[in-house]
Amino acid sequence: MLPFIVRRLFISFFVLLSATFIVYVLVASAGDPRAALQESTDPGKANKIAILTRNLSLDVPVIPRYLAWLKGALGCLIGQCDLGNTATGADVGSQLTTAMGSTLRLVLFATVTAIVLGVTVGMITALRQYSGLDYSVTFLAFLFFSLPVFWIAVLMKQFLAIKFNEWLKSPSISLAITVVVAVLVGLAAMAILGGDRRRKLLAFAGGAAAVAVILTYLNLTDWFSEPGIGVVAMIVMSAITAVACTALFADFRVRTVLYATLVTALVGVISYFALDPILADPTLLLILGLLVVALVVGASIGAGMGGLFRSQAIKACMLTAFGCSALVFSSHLLNAVPAYSAKVNGVVIATIGSSTPNFTGNFWETTLDQLGHLILPTIAIVLISLAAYTRYTRASMLEVMNADYIRTARAKGLTERTVVVRHGFRNALIPITTLMAIDFGSVIGGAIITETVFGWSGMGKLFNDALKIPDPNAVMGFFLVTGTAIVIFNMIADIAYGFLDPRIRLS
Amino acid sequence: MSTEEKVPTDKAVDPQAPAPGSAPGSATAAQGLAIVARTQGQLVRRRFFRHRAAMISLTILFLVIILAYTSIGFAGIPGWWIWNYYTPGKVVNRGAPTLSLWPTFLGGSGFSIGEHPFGQDDLGRDYFALTMRGAQISIMIAFVVGIVSTLIGVTIGALAGYYRGWVESGLMRFTDVMITIPILVIAAVLGQKFGGAGPLVLAIVVGLVLWTGLARLVRGEFLSLREKEFVEAARALGAKPNRIIFKHILPNTVGVITVSATLAIASAILLETALSYLGFGVRAPDTSLGLLVSTYQNAFATRPWLFWWPGLFIITIALSVNFIGDGLRDAYDPRQNRVRA
Amino acid sequence: MTVPPTTPPDDVPGGSIYGPATEEIPELFQVYEPSEGVELTPSRTSSVGPTGTTEVLKVENLTVGFPTEDGLVRAVRGVSYTLHEREVLGIVGESGSGKSVSSMAVMGLLPKSARITGNISFRGQNILSMSKNEQRSLRGRKIAMIFQDPMTAMNPVYTIGFQLAEAVLSHEVMSKKAAMARAEEMLNLVGIPQPKARLNSYPHEFSGGMRQRAMIAMAVINNPDVIIADEPTTALDVTVQAQILEKLIEVKDAFNAAIVLITHDLGVVAGMAHRTLVMYAGRPVELGTTEEVFYNPRMPYTAGLLGSIPSAGDTGRLRPITGAPPSLINLPDGCPFSPRCPLADDKCRTVEPELLPTDTIDHLAACHHWDRLAAAPDPTAFFRTESEAHR
Repeated sequence: MLPFIVRRLFISFFVLLSATFIVYVLVASAGDPRAALQESTDPGKANKIAILTRNLSLDVPVIPRYLAWLKGALGCLIGQCDLGNTATGADVGSQLTTAMGSTLRLVLFATVTAIVLGVTVGMITALRQYSGLDYSVTFLAFLFFSLPVFWIAVLMKQFLAIKFNEWLKSPSISLAITVVVAVLVGLAAMAILGGDRRRKLLAFAGGAAAVAVILTYLNLTDWFSEPGIGVVAMIVMSAITAVACTALFADFRVRTVLYATLVTALVGVISYFALDPILADPTLLLILGLLVVALVVGASIGAGMGGLFRSQAIKACMLTAFGCSALVFSSHLLNAVPAYSAKVNGVVIATIGSSTPNFTGNFWETTLDQLGHLILPTIAIVLISLAAYTRYTRASMLEVMNADYIRTARAKGLTERTVVVRHGFRNALIPITTLMAIDFGSVIGGAIITETVFGWSGMGKLFNDALKIPDPNAVMGFFLVTGTAIVIFNMIADIAYGFLDPRIRLS
Repeated sequence: MSTEEKVPTDKAVDPQAPAPGSAPGSATAAQGLAIVARTQGQLVRRRFFRHRAAMISLTILFLVIILAYTSIGFAGIPGWWIWNYYTPGKVVNRGAPTLSLWPTFLGGSGFSIGEHPFGQDDLGRDYFALTMRGAQISIMIAFVVGIVSTLIGVTIGALAGYYRGWVESGLMRFTDVMITIPILVIAAVLGQKFGGAGPLVLAIVVGLVLWTGLARLVRGEFLSLREKEFVEAARALGAKPNRIIFKHILPNTVGVITVSATLAIASAILLETALSYLGFGVRAPDTSLGLLVSTYQNAFATRPWLFWWPGLFIITIALSVNFIGDGLRDAYDPRQNRVRA
Repeated sequence: MTVPPTTPPDDVPGGSIYGPATEEIPELFQVYEPSEGVELTPSRTSSVGPTGTTEVLKVENLTVGFPTEDGLVRAVRGVSYTLHEREVLGIVGESGSGKSVSSMAVMGLLPKSARITGNISFRGQNILSMSKNEQRSLRGRKIAMIFQDPMTAMNPVYTIGFQLAEAVLSHEVMSKKAAMARAEEMLNLVGIPQPKARLNSYPHEFSGGMRQRAMIAMAVINNPDVIIADEPTTALDVTVQAQILEKLIEVKDAFNAAIVLITHDLGVVAGMAHRTLVMYAGRPVELGTTEEVFYNPRMPYTAGLLGSIPSAGDTGRLRPITGAPPSLINLPDGCPFSPRCPLADDKCRTVEPELLPTDTIDHLAACHHWDRLAAAPDPTAFFRTESEAHR
């Protein structure tokens, strides 16, 4: 494995190097930054032109300029970065560090969401091929694929942000909406669970009824004004999580795994109360630490109670622990919404910037602030990637499910669930790793656009402004970060591929 | 149930031919099964025409193209629409659209097109004409980009896939380098440099960056096809590499190439409109659908029509092309037959 | 096995340009004319061992149809057979004859859209009326299947040991270690060297023969009563074929199991099966003991198949059956074989013959004119081509 990684690093380094050369030359020759000044009637323009020339070394020809930049950039490898100055004389490096934070947040969040959602939906539609759900999802995927990001972003600003914030001031769910949503969820449940007629009808009725009850309850108790997860809801949802995780990893014939996950869920509920004081205003580090503890506790419960099914129990319990932790986290977040809303004058879902300027509040309010700003750009980017992941996963899963070894697995007498999850899903994932690498580039492109639409001061804006001048140093700074990210992501994808497919590993 | 080899045949047995009944006579007489020979092209066409979504999209796309190019004319040829896209005029009723579709018996004002069905912009120019002009440019750019990137991608992929050795390594390394640069980034850089030179130049230049995916695909196909026996046979017969590439391998990759080209056109539309939106694509005085959206995005709250129409056209064009691409993909490589449950 | 006399050209003494005279060819592939005065060599089926008397599997009037866009594909149209303990039943037929589909129906592996009618009883219980879970508990435990291509039939991302253990653990609750031990035991049984180390190998690290042995191990690991082998040797070299078949017989005897051997290779059936079922166009057309079917075919299709086998001493043209199998969507009226049958007459083309006893009650054939075949000294002669007839 190790020589493989080292060799890849080596090749990637030179690939990146060549790319920087191409980009630099293209940007440098894309125009003269002094052209606008030269045409202007500004009396101080001679001075300005001189400053510009000095900042960007415009008196030096392109190739030596590139080499000078390269020397400075290579210094990054030993910790002495010198990426030059921007047109205004600021240091590119420090500009990057301020801009990187928000963009990285956006890109990571969007990528993870797109992958998780896309793969799940793709799998489900593959297993329920040619159903109504499949057709609708396929159509939606095509639609999202054909959407211009900037256009949909503007639409979202209006409807998902402004209108939503308005609605939040006096939230109520009309009966019509309740019925429509209930029916839609019922239809989805029916399609997902499949089975014979009776099972489908039960799924529809169950799903629709559950949603109708929940929405009516939320409406009547005015939940949206003061959201939170009460004790009852906490217990119920933790139990559901436990059951779902069991269903994913084991079957219900032998109760061992189910008991283990239920115990984990119980621990989760107890800790919800027990940890209340610590979680009043935690730090990110504390949250992550608690998450690790939760996973470890879950694993130990699984190991302890798992008996003959230890490995399945551990996996199921860890996932349950993660789910319950997420519930606790969400509960605290929701509790902080009214306070946060008051601080930002009701603009819960923001449309400008990556965070409210000069905002102060506890951890939850700050997180809500970031999430509120993050949500719209993320949705915009996710929509496009989602379509690709869904289609790809669906195609891959279909191909896998038609393979001979699936037939063998069924012939061995394995449950359908085991066949799908252990044999089908695992093999279907292999080509998706390649998609992850390819898709990352388009996520970055999406980030550039959404940052422009939503006014974020991130890498996208940096790139945009810099290219209009054109300012080679700033653009190169941008490219260095994104290029490295792409290269690293590619390598992770390759390694994941090797990990998943033993045939590649040994060659 | 082993997977079947995709055998490149010129004639295919049509499994749907009915058996007209056995003929009387000896055992060596007519078989009783009619074999209708069809070329691969005919089979593909048949399957494509059965794909409803693709056929509908083809019709819609066709109509949109005709509408865009004939309504206001282009390249000096006049169109049938009364307004043009550059003459400013008097702004009537804040420039609201005069199109109404809601019939009177449902409470609307009946069906009428009116003076300015899509409304007017700030300067009183007819928005329908503007949108049509934008559509013309965007469509033209998309097709040019599609063609250019396909040509480059196929050439590079074919050469790399067939010749192997250092030709392949060199070309593939080059492709890797290009892949490291996000498409929007390199397109923006090129757009900044060449955008001022007009849409056609912009199109050709952008086509120079969209070929990487197709190159990889074609190379993959060539790699697998060149190991097939029919290539070995051709080589044994003394065929020159040129002939092998063009007459033997390439026809078998037509499916992959066509589908990729179609999808490239779809992404080209979205790419160009995004570029124009950011300011790196088509510049004034020309217009493109992306530029229109960019110019009027802030007017959304007060004059939404300025924002809706260009966007809807972008979506319609991209969606139709995507569906056509999907239809082509199904036509060339049909999966399991649908079973009536 | 009766074939037209292999007359070497007169000018080549003691054999032909294709090799030594027939008498010197090993037993399995030999061909005898009863009239030459040589004893009918007992077939190797006697080495396969006697069969038990308990009925293990009974298939009655099984039909399977697949609705497609072009119509209903009637893949299986009325298959019936019984299987006793330790018996080997060979099912022979071309592609599209329905042999694989009928076995998949027994296993319950057909897609949901398949329309199945008839009766399949395992030790007296009707499988088709069982719930999904009950069917699943039989699958892999009491009725096991071995597939054709071992490379694609095994999951490439899991080790052999894991896949074997999985087969055990899905039916019995035991520790992973115990399951692995059982897996190792099985690998040893099927003759894979260094079984303990091999447990951690991946399928692509095995050779073709080894893989098929591993597949056999996977099928028998739960001590099944019925093993369905669907073309187990088609994807393998001829030399490995014999080893695998031997192994199958050993395993059958070790576990007192019965085997349904599906193949298109008559040679395989000749050496292994107690009884043979010949299928054509979704229907059984001949059923009887292997000896009876091979030496006294009572259905022209069987005769044609037997006659088409080239033997090493042959010098003349090959004698295939002209034509191709019919479309399963649009079957011709009457006997589906009639378009290609040299004995066909109007009755054959209008009335489909039923599977009825011929010489003996155990030897059934679906042909209106089986008596003409019985009367002929050499039934395969009907398929002789024009050029041969004039020789």
